Amino acid sequence: MPRHIAGRVGQALVAAFGVLSIVFVVLHLSGDPTLLLVPPDASAAQIAELRHALGFDRPLLAQYLAYLGQLAHFDLGQSLVQRAPVAVILAARIPYTVELALAALAVAIGLGLPAGIAMAVWRGRPAARLLAVVVLAGQSLPTFWSGILLILLFGVTLGWLPTSGADSASSVILPAVALGLVTMAGFARMMRIAMLDELGRDYVAAARARGLSRGAAILRHVLRNAAIPVVTIAALEIGNLLAGAVIVETVFAWPGIGQLAMQSIAARDFLVVQAVVLFVSLVYIGMNLLADLAYAWIDPRIRRGP
Amino acid sequence: MGKLWLALLAGLAVTPAQAAAVKDALVVDLPGDVATMDPQLQWDTDSYTVYRNIFDNLVTRDSTGKIVPQVATAWHYTDDKTIVFDLRTDIKFQDGTPLTPADVVFSVQRIIDPAFRSPQLSQFNQIASADVTGPSQVTLHTKTPYPALLAQLVKLSIVPKAYVQKLGNQGFNQKPMGSGPYRLQDWQRGVQSVLAANPAYWRGKPPFATVTFRAVPDTATRIADLRTGRADITRGLSPDDAIALKSEHALKVLSVPTERVAYLFINAEAGPTKDVRVRQAIAMAIDRDTLITALQQGYAKPVNIVLTPANFGYVSDIPGWPYDPARARALIKEAGAEGAKLQFLTSPAYDRRLNEAVQQMLGEVGLKVEIVTMDQATYLKRRQGTPQEAGSLSQGRWSCACQDADGVIFPLFRSGSIWSKYSNPAFDAAVDAARSVLDPAKRLAEYHKAFTILREDVPGVGLFQDVAIYAARTNLQWTPTANEAFFVMDMHWTP
Repeated sequence: MPRHIAGRVGQALVAAFGVLSIVFVVLHLSGDPTLLLVPPDASAAQIAELRHALGFDRPLLAQYLAYLGQLAHFDLGQSLVQRAPVAVILAARIPYTVELALAALAVAIGLGLPAGIAMAVWRGRPAARLLAVVVLAGQSLPTFWSGILLILLFGVTLGWLPTSGADSASSVILPAVALGLVTMAGFARMMRIAMLDELGRDYVAAARARGLSRGAAILRHVLRNAAIPVVTIAALEIGNLLAGAVIVETVFAWPGIGQLAMQSIAARDFLVVQAVVLFVSLVYIGMNLLADLAYAWIDPRIRRGP
Repeated sequence: MGKLWLALLAGLAVTPAQAAAVKDALVVDLPGDVATMDPQLQWDTDSYTVYRNIFDNLVTRDSTGKIVPQVATAWHYTDDKTIVFDLRTDIKFQDGTPLTPADVVFSVQRIIDPAFRSPQLSQFNQIASADVTGPSQVTLHTKTPYPALLAQLVKLSIVPKAYVQKLGNQGFNQKPMGSGPYRLQDWQRGVQSVLAANPAYWRGKPPFATVTFRAVPDTATRIADLRTGRADITRGLSPDDAIALKSEHALKVLSVPTERVAYLFINAEAGPTKDVRVRQAIAMAIDRDTLITALQQGYAKPVNIVLTPANFGYVSDIPGWPYDPARARALIKEAGAEGAKLQFLTSPAYDRRLNEAVQQMLGEVGLKVEIVTMDQATYLKRRQGTPQEAGSLSQGRWSCACQDADGVIFPLFRSGSIWSKYSNPAFDAAVDAARSVLDPAKRLAEYHKAFTILREDVPGVGLFQDVAIYAARTNLQWTPTANEAFFVMDMHWTP
């Protein structure tokens, strides 16, 4: 067990280091970001002065080492546009994104698991096919479109829910549904496959032979076993929800890190962009690690290994 | 599903009736949040839309664009480089302390201090020094005679010296305080800024008790907010949005031609466009009326030069190049440039449709335009680099926020400037002269010379004057201005 954990953690650290380096390379790909930071009417002398002040005229390796050194001290730097610490700017947005991701996960699980169970239990019936179409539609609609439709229907026409912002408790509902619908499909399909797999096993037949009704057999035995792969998906999906939040947060004016990323790109606030990319990547890696460990914990065959 | 569609269609056609009660609050949907509340730092539209309501300026512009007194009551030049301002003595900051000449001098010194690194530095760095020269008087010295000074001072917010020094720059950015009609009540970064009326404001009682500026990046969502009454006014709409809103009874579209000019850059120092005949042919190949009617849906005004009538230095009697594809084709043939390949450099920050329209129009006269899209940093590096790197064509929408030709054709075409890929000593002499004499008539004569030269040399073509588009609830009264200022003090509900 400890060897398994150590291996996984080691892999995650390597991945994290890779991400840090890729982010650095991408942001320096075009040479240097100074040009993005100066006003359009700046003179060549002003540009050179700022380039020197920010250290972009140093050798790339020196800049890379300085960057790693800063990160080692958890120093994300100062936003050149907002003139405030990047960590403060980022920290203010994280709770919103976490709230949205959890609400969307609730929507996805709340709709996806029952849909998956129903599709497995009703296999072959028209109802199951209809559900499959609905699930597929939920996944296929791009969020920038479904988001606007939700706003027009529930915000403008019916007037039930706020059209934008995060100023009331009900504000999270529409963005969570828009984001959750996409993720729901994954849960539904995974649940369906896991259920079908389990339903065909001998223990189900044995339970039925003992006189258990089909419903009772599903409830007592099948669901528990089928849940194992689904739990790990949930952890992985949190990473996807963070990435998907960029568009949903922009459409619904939800002030999370996705919107921050868009605003910072538009304002050319590259240190903030860098911090958002790092944060999302590290959460993704962290969640993958968590999923691996959870899987091992749930299914002892994995942690024993060969 | 059928019902859902019906409901949606109904939502597009009608707007729910809104309570017509007089509201004491104004809600503004902006595309983005305030970057800095410190008015001497960021100068992006979202930031200055908010913070300029918290501060006063030395001078301002009236609704016709004329520069008129605000904190200063009068001004006069004692010599070409020295200007004396008399100040009001009845203005108080929002903490009750009086606004003094020392605050004005501090505001100038702060923004021109290179160590402060204001992004607005280039707008003010012609000022050499500022001094208190009387109990209600300040004197500014410029490095050279600087005719655009007053136009720049329109944008200089007066900040309280003692308060800024007490809080420090970061503290002041977090909790700004000025002498304007509104004070900052609450700022949730990235979410919204709430301003509250300053009841003691010297120009009278502000029209709304509170003003909330919300950050709503998506245009469709901003329009949905307007429809449901969640917001009262929004900015940054496209011509297509404006057309779509025309049938809404509860909403109205407000638009104003701005000082922003859309132009096509043509590289005069490298590639096939080094030949002036090719550049003149390009000017005649572009159907600017079609750009305005088809691309801008009429939300643009034609221009004859690379400048708008909202700027000082605009000359109306220089004819623009006529749309004449036959002559363009002949000129290209004469120059031996048929089938020449032109690189059109661009980035996602620019209107893709305009790139493609230009590509097609030039294709029709025998030029092969290759649109090269790159990220903004790479684009700027190449566009501002050597003439060989800069490509043959690119588009831009330029505004100096100073309404003066000096802020437009000097950075765009004066040799030595990073954007210029053109060199003509006669043009340089004219724009140099125009920025160093104060007499408006003499300046105008120099700009006439400069634009006459630009017309023949064609290092760029003016495409149209951009229009700013706002949408508001029908009962909100306001007239937008060419400099895209957003002073809440000038708005009110219809009684």
